[in-house]
Amino acid sequence: MTIDSTTIAQAEPTFQRSHTVRLPRSPKVIGGAVIVAIFGLFAAIGRWVAPYSPDATDTKNWVQHVLVPGTGPGTEFPANYYPLPLGPSAAHWLGTTVFAQDVFSQLVTSTQATLFVGLLAAAIATGLSIFFGVTAGYIGGGTDEGLSLVANVFLAIPGLPLLIVLADYVPYAGSSVILVAVIIAVTAWAYSARVLRAQTLSLRNRDFVEAARVSGEGRLRIIVAEVLPNLIPIVAASFLYTTLYAIYAYVAISFLGLGGSPTSSPPGLWNWGEMLREGFANNAVRGGWWWWWAPPGVCVAALGTGLALLNFGLDEFINPRLRIAGFTGKAARKAGINSRTATVITPVMRKSAIPPTGAMPADAVLEIRGLTVDYGYGEDAVHAVSDCDLVLRRGKVLGLAGESGSGKTTLALAAVRLLRPPAVITAGAVRFRSPKGVVDMLDATQPQLRAVRWSEIAVVLQSSLNALNPVTSVGAQFDDLLRAHRPLLGRSGRADRAGELLKMVGINPDRLRSYPHELSGGMRQRAMIAMALALDPQVVILDEPTTALDVVTQREIIEELIGLRDRLGFAALFITHDLSLLVEIADEIAVMYAGRVMERAPAASLFHAPRLPYTHGLLHCFPPLHGRRAPMEGIPGSPPDLRDLPTGCAFHPRCRWALEQCRTQVPQLSLVDGSRREVACWLHDGGQTVPDELARRDPMLVAQ
Amino acid sequence: MSALLRRLLVYLLAAWVALTVSFLLPRVVPGNPVAGAVARASQSGNCNEQCVIAIETQLGFNVHQSLWDQYVNYWENLLHGNLGHSWSENAPVSNLILSYLPWTLALLGVATTTSFVAGSMIGTLVAWRRGSLFDWLIPVATFFQALPYFFLAIVLVLIFGQTGTMLKWFPSLFGYDIFGAEPGFNLPFVESVLAHGILPAVTVILASIAGFILAMRNQMITTLDDDFVLVAEAKGLPTRTVIWYAARNALLPVVSNFTIAISLVVAGQILVEIVFNYPGIGYHLYDALGKLDYSLVQGIFVVITLVVLAANLLADAVYVAIDPRARQAA
Repeated sequence: MTIDSTTIAQAEPTFQRSHTVRLPRSPKVIGGAVIVAIFGLFAAIGRWVAPYSPDATDTKNWVQHVLVPGTGPGTEFPANYYPLPLGPSAAHWLGTTVFAQDVFSQLVTSTQATLFVGLLAAAIATGLSIFFGVTAGYIGGGTDEGLSLVANVFLAIPGLPLLIVLADYVPYAGSSVILVAVIIAVTAWAYSARVLRAQTLSLRNRDFVEAARVSGEGRLRIIVAEVLPNLIPIVAASFLYTTLYAIYAYVAISFLGLGGSPTSSPPGLWNWGEMLREGFANNAVRGGWWWWWAPPGVCVAALGTGLALLNFGLDEFINPRLRIAGFTGKAARKAGINSRTATVITPVMRKSAIPPTGAMPADAVLEIRGLTVDYGYGEDAVHAVSDCDLVLRRGKVLGLAGESGSGKTTLALAAVRLLRPPAVITAGAVRFRSPKGVVDMLDATQPQLRAVRWSEIAVVLQSSLNALNPVTSVGAQFDDLLRAHRPLLGRSGRADRAGELLKMVGINPDRLRSYPHELSGGMRQRAMIAMALALDPQVVILDEPTTALDVVTQREIIEELIGLRDRLGFAALFITHDLSLLVEIADEIAVMYAGRVMERAPAASLFHAPRLPYTHGLLHCFPPLHGRRAPMEGIPGSPPDLRDLPTGCAFHPRCRWALEQCRTQVPQLSLVDGSRREVACWLHDGGQTVPDELARRDPMLVAQ
Repeated sequence: MSALLRRLLVYLLAAWVALTVSFLLPRVVPGNPVAGAVARASQSGNCNEQCVIAIETQLGFNVHQSLWDQYVNYWENLLHGNLGHSWSENAPVSNLILSYLPWTLALLGVATTTSFVAGSMIGTLVAWRRGSLFDWLIPVATFFQALPYFFLAIVLVLIFGQTGTMLKWFPSLFGYDIFGAEPGFNLPFVESVLAHGILPAVTVILASIAGFILAMRNQMITTLDDDFVLVAEAKGLPTRTVIWYAARNALLPVVSNFTIAISLVVAGQILVEIVFNYPGIGYHLYDALGKLDYSLVQGIFVVITLVVLAANLLADAVYVAIDPRARQAA
């Protein structure tokens, strides 16, 4: 029998992530937008709402002069006066400078030039970075090498010193805001170019770009029509970031006196940096005249915060993982779920968890009753698993089969509380029989779970490259595990045990010193299996352990697993989409569809005499290598959208035997053919003629 | 080519670009910079005839030599460690910079290390305890990240500085007590240097730590979603170990983005030194700009660039040390 896993899509879709495709409306983003909008408004109209001219001296009120000590009457020097700025008053909301100029008017007027330089520099820099980044990323080869080198060189040269030297030498640069913006842009484009290059590089090989290339579209057209639209969020983020940087840079060089002073010739424009420079140069700090120097600084910080908050929103949009972090907080609390840390414990909705009742079946190690798992809370929730019952018996292998997205992994990981929020268990009961007694998994505390995890229930995931910590050696990971669970074992004892385990799965113990990336895919998976068996667990959950491997390696690993199970006698929950594989290894098989267990039977019965139309379809996806030739049929249609399930039996739109009843009523699992197997299908409710394909003689019944 | 050698090449190229820019600027920028400099100098009224001649000679405007010959000359001088002569201090630029550099390097080293280590730790914690009260650190950190370094410096001087008006706890002017301590290896001087370093260091740390917190937090949250963290949890490893697994991995991109971080910190510190009259290269850059001492300005620019490039190389070496995959490539 061959294992052909290419017929069914392999990755479980991460539907909880593609959920929202709108900008997150978090308080952070709204706050940022409001702040930026206020400054934008002042920049636009500030010049006209300023109560005074920024340069005007209020001679009428400017009378508070202070005698410089040691001058005037009684000394040999003529009287000399300090000018003293006016504090905030009704006439001057933010007081005046020592030159009796209105600070509020200066501040409002300054907003315009500051924001203008920021936006212009950001626009130029973004243009440059798009040109360099996208060209380098799309064309690749020598062009990429050359352009990337230019970007990296610019990135390595510190921006501000270069800016200072440029602004200092370019004659009268400070007097022209456009020249200042250009100079700032020259020092600011490289980082975004690098980010855009990386993104373009990954876009270049996507299907839609490939398709456009094959269809003969021109290079420029592909870049403009296919690549750029997909870069918009990143371009927007780097635009915001560069605006922020440009405003700092402008304020900084103005503070250094290079940004052009309104009093020099030719005069520059009022900006926040210039205000800070004047205040600092005229002893505003020592004089305690905070109203003079604090407002421009606070404005820079406030505008910067606004832009940074907006950028936060964009980041969460670009990297959905960050968004989920924000998502768990309030919504989870509303649902009565406590998820205070990133510790992986699937939350259980308190109001709906029912304590398990009745005695566990004597030979059961893991019993799942009515388990229901949602992704998300409230109205947005997606029901990934609904009302599932499973019993894993001691020393037996239970196969869990189904297409991608049918909820196999969700069911298994939720049962051992290893699914992260926003997954949440909304109903059901899970019990585990450990040697120390029965553990109610849905009621267990973190220490209780920790005691069970790995020492009693171990997990092997599909992709072992991601399952091993990439930065520490395999040996160190064995060591961490054994140190945590076998505290009495010494250092050499742990090393011996780790070597023994590797040898058990056919890997040379020398490999303990290797890092995960130095091992082949098959070796990594073997190492993971060795690690799973390190503590002699009662239950091993194998989540598509061979899917990511080539056919030959799959075969070897399956045989290894069968051998190990026979020797060590652990019970296994084996998840796969490959039914033919399960027949070899499983004692019993459960088939899932759209989050429900639809058929459950001894492996041979299910394989040779399926009762569920869906199981029948699954079986005919894989060509058997020997035995009777059967036509390949497959299953028409595609797996259902969990957010919008068909009514009645979720399979009915794809079922060729669908009845009227199937469209309206959800079938429940019920016994057929005696007490050994169950199916949830209206065809088997006793009142229908069962099609021949679904009425083959059960080999187990024949054997009896 | 190994990764580290490749980076070294980029830095050498960057150094060459910086040096060449520094050479070309006064010579090719439209409008005679000497005239511009003199105009500005006479406007501010503190440049006499001698100063004008000084500007001309400093800028190396030798009309009798071709640009290429000047360039060759420039490199010959550089390779002999000759960065020109500062007229305002009447001393070789290289000697001056050597006396400024320890101040800057000490401040930068202490502040950046503290900020990086503490920031990464706080960022890790904030990511781990997401959804808790720690989330309030995010907007606060965002605000601090948005504060210009020199503005924060001014605020700290006002509140804590002896030249401020409020608490007057710490000295806030110069690098040491220039009236009470004799520079050298003696206790009063060392004490004075430490006391004078507190506020500048705190400023740089406070202004830069937010960036590290946010970067680490975002990387941690992304990493915490990775399978190996799930497996670490499934293994029942102690929380400490799980966090360490994730943090070790999340740290990698933070270290590789150190290039940008260090540029910003150096830029910020230049301005902080100005506010505190701290005798490092940043303050003297400002000073030299005001005095139109062009050879000193250029020399400082070149040295700052080299310092940043060295810091980058160090960060790359650290990266190679902590990422086994990069170690293999190096």
